[in-house]
Amino acid sequence: MKKALSLILVLVMLLTLAACGGESGNDETKGAEGNESAVQYYNTYMTADPTSMDISRISDSYSSGIVNNVMESIVRMGEVDGNYKIIPGDAESWESNAEGTVWTFHLGNNTWSDGQPVTAQDYVYSLQRSADPATGCPNEYFLLPVAGYQEVRDGASLDTLGVKALDEKTLEVTLSYPVPSFLEMCCGTVYYPQRQDIVEQYGEQYGSEPEYCVFNGAYTMESWTHNSSIILKKREGYWNAADVQIENVTVHILGDSSTSYTMYEAGQLDYVGTSAAEWVQKFLAREDTDYVKTYSASVNYAFYNTKDALFQNANIRRAFNMAVDRADLNEVTFGGRSNPATGWVTGAMAVGSTNYREYAGDMIQAMYDDAAANNMTAKDYLLKGMEELGLGNDPLTLDITFSLAGTDEWFRTYGEYLQQTYNTALGIDLKISFSEWGIFSSNLNTGNYQIGYMGWGAYYNDPYDVLSLFMSTNDAIQTGWVNEEFDKLVLEAQSEMDEAKRLELYKQAEEILLLEEYVVNPILFPSSNSFYKNFVQGYATLAFSSGGYQGMTTGGRQ
Amino acid sequence: MVKYILKRTAWAFVTLLAVVTVTFFLMRSIPGDPLAGMARALPEETRNAFMAKYGLDKPLFDQYIIYMKGLLTEFDLGESLRYAGRPVLKTITETSPVSGSFGIPALIIGTLTGIILGIVAALKKNKWPDYVVMFLAILGTTLPVFVLISISQWIFGVKLNGLLPPSGWGTPKHMILPIAVSAFGSVATYARYVKASMLDTLDQDYVLTAKAKGLSQFQIITRHVLRNSLMPAITIFAGSVVGVFTGAFVTERMFAIPGIGFYYISSINNYDYTMILGTTVFYAVLFVVMQLILDIVYTLIDPRIRVGGGKK
Repeated sequence: MKKALSLILVLVMLLTLAACGGESGNDETKGAEGNESAVQYYNTYMTADPTSMDISRISDSYSSGIVNNVMESIVRMGEVDGNYKIIPGDAESWESNAEGTVWTFHLGNNTWSDGQPVTAQDYVYSLQRSADPATGCPNEYFLLPVAGYQEVRDGASLDTLGVKALDEKTLEVTLSYPVPSFLEMCCGTVYYPQRQDIVEQYGEQYGSEPEYCVFNGAYTMESWTHNSSIILKKREGYWNAADVQIENVTVHILGDSSTSYTMYEAGQLDYVGTSAAEWVQKFLAREDTDYVKTYSASVNYAFYNTKDALFQNANIRRAFNMAVDRADLNEVTFGGRSNPATGWVTGAMAVGSTNYREYAGDMIQAMYDDAAANNMTAKDYLLKGMEELGLGNDPLTLDITFSLAGTDEWFRTYGEYLQQTYNTALGIDLKISFSEWGIFSSNLNTGNYQIGYMGWGAYYNDPYDVLSLFMSTNDAIQTGWVNEEFDKLVLEAQSEMDEAKRLELYKQAEEILLLEEYVVNPILFPSSNSFYKNFVQGYATLAFSSGGYQGMTTGGRQ
Repeated sequence: MVKYILKRTAWAFVTLLAVVTVTFFLMRSIPGDPLAGMARALPEETRNAFMAKYGLDKPLFDQYIIYMKGLLTEFDLGESLRYAGRPVLKTITETSPVSGSFGIPALIIGTLTGIILGIVAALKKNKWPDYVVMFLAILGTTLPVFVLISISQWIFGVKLNGLLPPSGWGTPKHMILPIAVSAFGSVATYARYVKASMLDTLDQDYVLTAKAKGLSQFQIITRHVLRNSLMPAITIFAGSVVGVFTGAFVTERMFAIPGIGFYYISSINNYDYTMILGTTVFYAVLFVVMQLILDIVYTLIDPRIRVGGGKK
């Protein structure tokens, strides 16, 4: 009995080992070939598995990070001398009418991975599919300016949508109102094309595995091992294939940051990103590595429930905005690797080629300067607010809870820091509540919070993308705040074709938000710290660039 | 015996139904929904379209009936709510063998090594082999697995000039570290259990009797002691086998192994209801089946345990 049992165990063991041996070899040989025949390859990673390649069903940055490489958009966001520049994608050329409401794109000769030409109809179908309420597309919101969008949402036929194929190679998009940043919007994945025949052929499975996809980008997805790796291969049918240098890209899925650091040190990755101070120091010391620090397109912020008995008062909100020492917080909780916020619109955003933040200036500093001019401290504003609300003059009597959307170690430390800061600066007794994202989010929806803390990543490069979050029509950040003048300014800016005027309108709107009403408390502009092996060249350095791997080279690899 | 197995199978089925039912209603009582996981609050009509698509707009009890019907009539576990177009059953059947492919060798190697070390420790009690084994065992049970993995990745991937890839999947080389690390945990567990139970058995009267009869030390150990002291090891072994196919979240994540462990954790965080149920059903089935096998194995190795109350 025992003998038989151990024999079976040994057999099982041998079989499993043998089975694994069978599928071996691929990676190894590819790497070796790359070295010898100088075929360029690039090894990188993501921290989570993409959810899907179906652009009508994705909203995560992991999916769009791959889609961006295997799919071509109508135009792309490129970089010239550190500034954004719209460059051709599927469209060779484009023009708009004087008002900026009708955009015509002339398509070039790109093909799909099955050999079919990319046509204007593919764009018409894609936008219609995403706008269709039945699809449940999480990014459909970005189709808002397209004429007929609201009618389609209300049940009109899909033909009502303002996208037309004038002929096979000419696409016309009509907007309900002028949108100067429309080309920037077109770089978002929801404006990418889709093939009706393929989508219908695979149905629900479309986009879930490489075999249920069709690609028109610089790369095709060779394999997708969920939660392990994605292999991309250069596609010869791509219209600009001649300029694509890197033939093979391996994207490892590494959920654990320490693994990605070791992989980089072991030479298995050509890129690594980190915000951990000790690792930044370690990578900075490497001679084979280049360092790039950029503003990411996101902002970390606290926000107030303006329907709350206490936080309905702007002076109290102002006191809370002023009480945080952003530089100190950056040092203590991020090891100085992030950036103190200087406004609500992040440092990564531009209007045309003008960096918005440089134009609008540091509004947080402006807040402090104004207080200093009036000889007021954060606590003075709190007391003033309490007086206005008839709450006496003892801050210790206030019952205030700060909600954090996380329960791990990092959030605990962060909570303690906030507690200490606020208690010292305002003389209050702050409570901190920790909950998982889902619970936090449903508390926001029901208005069951006072101050919350979140991060927001922008979708496309225009201040409208983040300023519109506070419009009364938008319920993404549930502050309950309504301000007609703010709404008006943001709407007006969005349609203003003159860049200088648009910058000024956005600035005025942001001033209402941060210097009059204090609805939100921008705390940090996270930066991304990227490290590349010296031989990697041509990578994007601006947060909204959509060039992907196609503009890069690894030619100098030893 | 056949009657016993049939009876146990029927009970197992009832247990499974209970597990699915409890899980179904418990998970739906967590505040939030699959769309809450997305950063951007969606417009009402998009939410409604999503909910309608997956039948989440129906009354909860109707949803339960629909799910159970699908499960019982065609073993339909539905489609992931998070990963569009990926059927839950397919995800389980594709990822659990991957978890098994490194978990089984690790379990076998770990268990056998652990048992041998446990025996050695018991026989050489309070001598240096015992101390070495117990030191390893304490290390193996107290050292968090992510620390062990980080250290091994650094040693083999960086320090030894890339002798083994620190992470990744697809070649035999990629399997060595995951197997070694997972086996280390088993070694520690089994060494401790086997040592304790060996020491216990060595004190029994029948061992003394065997000694008195003049049997050699080797005969006493193999015939009398080992057989009796492996019972607790078998009990935990059953649990370990289930564990192998339900994956190891940390190990798989750190080695980028496309196993099933990820889905047990992520499905809950993502409110991926169908995936939560699917993985739970899978776990419960494995568990119940292993318990059944365990009970049968018990009767084979220990005559004191009889089926059917020992009447036959």
